[in-house]
Amino acid sequence: MRLGADFEGVKHLPKHLRPRWRYLAVGIEAWPDADVDRRAFQRALWFAAGNLLGDVGSAALDSSLLHFRFDDSEGDAVVRVRRDAVEQCRAALAAIDEVDGQPVGLRIRGTSGTVRACEEKYIRRPPERSKERTVAFADTERPAVVRGDRIDVVDSDGRVGATALDIRDN
Amino acid sequence: MYEGVHAYPDGRATAARLAKTAAAFGYDGVVIRNHGDAQTEYDPGRIGERYGIDVVRGIEIRSDDPGQASGLVGNYRSKRTIVCVHGGSLNRFAVEQPAVDVLAHPMDGGDINHVLAKTAAENGVHLEFNLARVLRAEGGERVGAIKGLRKLRELVEKYDAPYVVSADARSHLQLRAPRELVAVGETVGFEREAIASGLAAWGELADRNRTRRSDAVIEPGVRVEPRDGDGEGGR
Repeated sequence: MRLGADFEGVKHLPKHLRPRWRYLAVGIEAWPDADVDRRAFQRALWFAAGNLLGDVGSAALDSSLLHFRFDDSEGDAVVRVRRDAVEQCRAALAAIDEVDGQPVGLRIRGTSGTVRACEEKYIRRPPERSKERTVAFADTERPAVVRGDRIDVVDSDGRVGATALDIRDN
Repeated sequence: MYEGVHAYPDGRATAARLAKTAAAFGYDGVVIRNHGDAQTEYDPGRIGERYGIDVVRGIEIRSDDPGQASGLVGNYRSKRTIVCVHGGSLNRFAVEQPAVDVLAHPMDGGDINHVLAKTAAENGVHLEFNLARVLRAEGGERVGAIKGLRKLRELVEKYDAPYVVSADARSHLQLRAPRELVAVGETVGFEREAIASGLAAWGELADRNRTRRSDAVIEPGVRVEPRDGDGEGGR
């Protein structure tokens, strides 16, 4: 049997047979000392999907992490997922409460049909840098990390999320 | 849609930070439901105005003793817009009190049966579908939580009991947007609409109770309406 030219090398599926993808823009927030890297986040997503949806559900998502940035306690990611499994992927992302033992807040900012549209629309420039400062919180001077209106205070039990409204003299 | 949250010192974020984050996530309101022994000082009006969100004064009454809980409900009913009872051993007590708005996480350390669900429906006590352990626990604990939610859902449907839904956030990092909670709810067997209406129910409770507490209401069902030409607030 003679193999035709189509069988040589890696062939892509014809366009109408390729999976249809959606791209989810994810916003990530953590405490100031958190260090979340791409691999750890990817692992957290795999485990979240596997634990919540099982192997079958995970396979149905067919998710992959296309973009990841995290620095100075916040970041963003673009997750690609099969178009018919967006809601399951949303649920798996919502169930990520820690990455490498570090608490994280996650939010899906939006979804798009192309990675480019997703990044243009929902991935922002890195925000203003945070500053370390001492603030008057709950009648005590406390070290804090300040980023605009958001203020993460260190107290005797760890971190407390606050805003300018909570700080005396504001 | 509204969320019921625990603020510092009951949680690890202040009422203001929770409100700011919830507003950014698309919530219309947050109910600050700190446990009775971990109350917090805050100005709902100021926070609400700054972040564009309704901040509702609530409480979650926690006690081992129904007698003491009863006193606390009576005490806080006039001081808080939404009165919740910490579920578990107080489940029976809570569903028998029309003065209680929400029985929080009844399946965490406790149980609900057909009698309690029916009583909750009769007294208008909202049963909480608490998604905390679906979102933040794993393994056997999460399986148990999901089973509890299913049992509660079946009873709520059967007796048409009122309910609320919450992620029970104890910090801004534990908040999840309404759409995310709908998606999580769907994966554990809820109708999408059920999650949305359970999040909205907090706001409906707040509206109802504020109307009741306003001096226009003489008793349930009887209120003073302004007369023509009497202007606002006439009586």
